[in-house]
Amino acid sequence: MTSIRGVGKASGWGLGRGLCAAVAVAAAMGGGHAFAQTEITMWSNWPDEPAKKEWVTARVKDFEAANKQCTVKLSFIPKADIYTQAKSAVRTGQAPDIFYMEPDQPEFLAGGFLEPLDGYIDLNGLEDWAKPAWTSKGKVYGVPVEAYTVELYYNKDLVKKVGVDVPASFQLTQAQFTDLVKKGVAAGITPVSQGVGDRPFPGGQLLFESLLRKLGPDDYKKLLNGELSFKDPRVQEVMTWVKELVDAGAYPKSFSTLKLGESHFYFYNSPGSLTFPDPSWFTGRAFAAPEKGGMPANFPLGIMKFPAMDKGACPNCKTLAVAGSFVMYSKGKNKDCAGALLKSMANAENGTKWISEVSLQSGLKSDPAKIVSPHKAYFDELNARNKDVTYFFGTPLLYYRAKCAETYIQVMNNAFPAGLISVADAAEKMDAACLKK
Amino acid sequence: MPDAISLRTAAKSGEAKASSRATLADPRRATRLVLAIFLGPALLVYCGLTAYPAFRTIFDSFFTIEGMDATFVGLANYRELMGDETFWVAVRNTFIWSFVAPVIDVATGLLLALALYAGVPFARFLRVAWFTPVLLSYVVVAILWMWIYNYDWGVLNVMLRAVGLGDLASSWLGDPNLALAAVIVTHAWKWAGFNMVVCLAAIHSLPKEVLEASDLDNCGWGAKLRYIIIPMLRPTLLSLYILSFIGKMKVFDLVWIMTQGGPLWATETVSTYVYKRAFNWNTFDLGYPSTIATVWFLVVCAAVIILNRVLGSRERLEY
Repeated sequence: MTSIRGVGKASGWGLGRGLCAAVAVAAAMGGGHAFAQTEITMWSNWPDEPAKKEWVTARVKDFEAANKQCTVKLSFIPKADIYTQAKSAVRTGQAPDIFYMEPDQPEFLAGGFLEPLDGYIDLNGLEDWAKPAWTSKGKVYGVPVEAYTVELYYNKDLVKKVGVDVPASFQLTQAQFTDLVKKGVAAGITPVSQGVGDRPFPGGQLLFESLLRKLGPDDYKKLLNGELSFKDPRVQEVMTWVKELVDAGAYPKSFSTLKLGESHFYFYNSPGSLTFPDPSWFTGRAFAAPEKGGMPANFPLGIMKFPAMDKGACPNCKTLAVAGSFVMYSKGKNKDCAGALLKSMANAENGTKWISEVSLQSGLKSDPAKIVSPHKAYFDELNARNKDVTYFFGTPLLYYRAKCAETYIQVMNNAFPAGLISVADAAEKMDAACLKK
Repeated sequence: MPDAISLRTAAKSGEAKASSRATLADPRRATRLVLAIFLGPALLVYCGLTAYPAFRTIFDSFFTIEGMDATFVGLANYRELMGDETFWVAVRNTFIWSFVAPVIDVATGLLLALALYAGVPFARFLRVAWFTPVLLSYVVVAILWMWIYNYDWGVLNVMLRAVGLGDLASSWLGDPNLALAAVIVTHAWKWAGFNMVVCLAAIHSLPKEVLEASDLDNCGWGAKLRYIIIPMLRPTLLSLYILSFIGKMKVFDLVWIMTQGGPLWATETVSTYVYKRAFNWNTFDLGYPSTIATVWFLVVCAAVIILNRVLGSRERLEY
């Protein structure tokens, strides 16, 4: 009884104090708001890709509408600037609550600057193949919005014009691709639109996709992990073939300074090229309005497979990777709102919307039956080229680090496809930087 | 006695007040407090934004810093740096920049100044036109020259093709043999106007009687330039050279925007390499980049001292 009375007394006293406090707070707030709003900051990439920008903006607006206690200060910043700014900001505790990141920047995770998301989001909303890209010590650290495969786009009319028929398998042999390159050069048409003026990876796409098909996933992984030498005869064979293409004039003369956006324009506008190796995020720029630099409406776009290598171990292999993702800052002060925003993004409904609106794969789950896209024909062709393939997860820059990555950028991305360096020298430099002793 | 003491005390007090008034009245004899008040803010800014970061950089060079953890590694970073092939390529490129480019800068500036001094037509317009690049940011200059150097439609290659020299058309920024020279030319274009203005001012301040005497002696333009103008401009030209030298030892912006150190490290400078190691190396380690920065700081200091001694006019140079 005593205890009950005591409790009653305490409760009554507490209730009185609580009411007083509530009145005081209400008075202080002027009766205007019943709760305090929390503003979180979010940095997203894609300032120049309308469809992706609209998808992110819509998700943030949906979240704000459903969570009145949270507002989001959203900024669209080019990827390179996000990385540079975030590297300084995370150290000083001034990083945004949520920011854009790709799995090839592992230092943020290693430095303890990313918050594990297991307690915030429903992991069932993510594709199983996408989770490993952001998994460390059993925890998931990123929402993998954007995923892609490395594709070989081509201009159906120009390829036909130079006298090459793409087979029903949509895969040329090594010799057929060499023939395509030589016929293109003879006709005065650049065979492969590609430029490395502002990106560290495009120049290596043809070579490394060919290496994947030649070596097969296991040995290719060894090569990327520095456990297989670039002097391996199979690697040398593929490099020699690519060098032959380079020397035949496969790439534009402006290869070293041509920027990614310009290489798009080069392919589907002026001067035009036969092929364009590009990740399937191609659509971000290509499906923009033609007056904004997008692909002309009647462009004869086709997708072929990368060439099958002679005696290749895996002609049907293909690179699959996770790209644009959103991560949470581990030292952020508004983790509840930030976590709620990421949770609201990471579900199949939004994955379906991403695929429909951006025409690009997603690491979020999706419902194929509900995908509605004005680019359905493109998607059907992309799906056809991805049928029965063996995926290899990750591009070279996901594996290469520090000096090895820098050597890849300078040698395999630039100098080798630009014809500035021999096969032997390129292999020597890559081994010196990447091969584990 | 008390009266005498009080008188002396009063006298001393009077002197002190007078002295104080004199001190306050004479700004050359400011008290320490006044000095501190006036110097404090500037010193604070200097210590916070220059001295502390400099000392912190030297301090960090003895550590490996991963995330928020710093591990003392002694001279390990310095030993690693000595065997770093890319660093030595960057050093070589930076020295080429620093010794060659200032000669081009100063020579171009002097030539432009002499043209204006000689009274070329449209001198007023040309003075503004030649100085304008100095006012442009590196970003604008870099983009402008990347267009000029573009292989397909850049002005340079278009002109070469137009005059039948299409074989000379090149990927100016994509060829390791040409890229460094191409970026140096861009840098010289930007700064020629600054050197021109300084040289022009120096030429105008030369003693007129000497120049008039040379005219009376029937001295031609070439001889006047060789034996009178250039020798008398020597301190100015040396100052410009050394200022330019110091600037080139730290060159970053233009290279980063135009080539990012490529192709094949042909345009890599020490500054771009420091940036890469600090921000593009998949690591948060600032220890190693700090080591490069520390070593280079010492190299720049040493180079300036040596240049001063070699050129033998230390007392006349101001920077």
